[in-house]
Amino acid sequence: MTTAERTDGSATELLGTLAADHATGALSTESGIFYLAAGHVVHVESAHSPDLGDLLTRSGAVAPAGWWEAVERAGAAHQVGRRLVDSGRLTAGALELCHLGALFDAAYFALAHDGAALRFRPGVAHWFGAVRPVPVATVLRESRRRVDLLHRIWPDPAVDTAPLTRGAGADPAGLPPRRGRTLALVDGGRTAAQIASALAHRTFHTLVELRRLAADGLVTPAPPPPPATPVHPVPDAGGAAWDEPDTALLRRLLDALEAL
Amino acid sequence: MPGIDESLLEAMRLPGARGALVADWISGLALGAVGDAPGGDAEATAAETAELARQAMESGTLASADGGGTGTAGGAPPVEDLILTGADAYHLLRFVVTTFDSTVFLYLWLDRADGNLALARIRLAEMADRLVLG
Repeated sequence: MTTAERTDGSATELLGTLAADHATGALSTESGIFYLAAGHVVHVESAHSPDLGDLLTRSGAVAPAGWWEAVERAGAAHQVGRRLVDSGRLTAGALELCHLGALFDAAYFALAHDGAALRFRPGVAHWFGAVRPVPVATVLRESRRRVDLLHRIWPDPAVDTAPLTRGAGADPAGLPPRRGRTLALVDGGRTAAQIASALAHRTFHTLVELRRLAADGLVTPAPPPPPATPVHPVPDAGGAAWDEPDTALLRRLLDALEAL
Repeated sequence: MPGIDESLLEAMRLPGARGALVADWISGLALGAVGDAPGGDAEATAAETAELARQAMESGTLASADGGGTGTAGGAPPVEDLILTGADAYHLLRFVVTTFDSTVFLYLWLDRADGNLALARIRLAEMADRLVLG
């Protein structure tokens, strides 16, 4: 790629500067990548949230063969989104709803773990192509609002990352459908991101359900394991094992390389 | 084939339409907005109407899909729309059904003197369908 620029500021500050400069390129944080075009956010990825391909294919909205056909045919030209619409697999409205849902979901996690390891690669574009560019200020404002929303529901951030355990007597029946399906996957081993992946749901939306469940005493985060003992194994229920975040990131890298 | 903006602009062509937006009822995110918003802030309106939409969608008694069923993934939502009548305006919320994970609704702010509630409700339902089905 082209020159990489290292900075010492926070991702929030750097995004603000890049927006003011109408910059185009990819900003990597410790937990995600923001793709900018002319200072607007066009795509965001994070290993903590399902990517667009997962959301579309695993829900059945687009057949996997159709998704890969679009990636192969239009990935090099950065027009996968347009190809999905032009080939009749998705309406323009559905593409926008799903893409924005994934963008703000990934942005929350890309900013949540805002460490020092920031890198901006000028000129780099995402293979999916622009769908509905969002101003940087809107993305930052929404991510802050989401932090506050979770805090208001139940102020325990451990729910977001720790393996989760079901409370005594917690029964998915009788809960609102989404919350019930979320609770049904709490098994003492899975984390929020793994539950989201298994459901093909956005991870932030899963956090909201889990914090509400925690507020009602139906879910508790497992205490961190002592350093010497192995971490909880992740049970393979319905092919969920390959959806662990690191694997998802590797698959995404593969997708990107193949699309070049 | 309409996208978010085209759908919202179509909603604004309804007689008495003051403003319209697409919002997410779990996160409160405003995905798009046109026209005015009650209070002047579309993002605040999205967050507030989202809370109303969520309460309705999660109401165990009112929002039962088939008289007590729990509703299944990808099926029809237990609530199709909400109508809130104010002193001088209607607030219409219409849920959008998608196969993939989205929890969005169309919102229309409709002037009570100039608007036609029955017409607006039918049109908003058609727009919600066309947005995702073409």
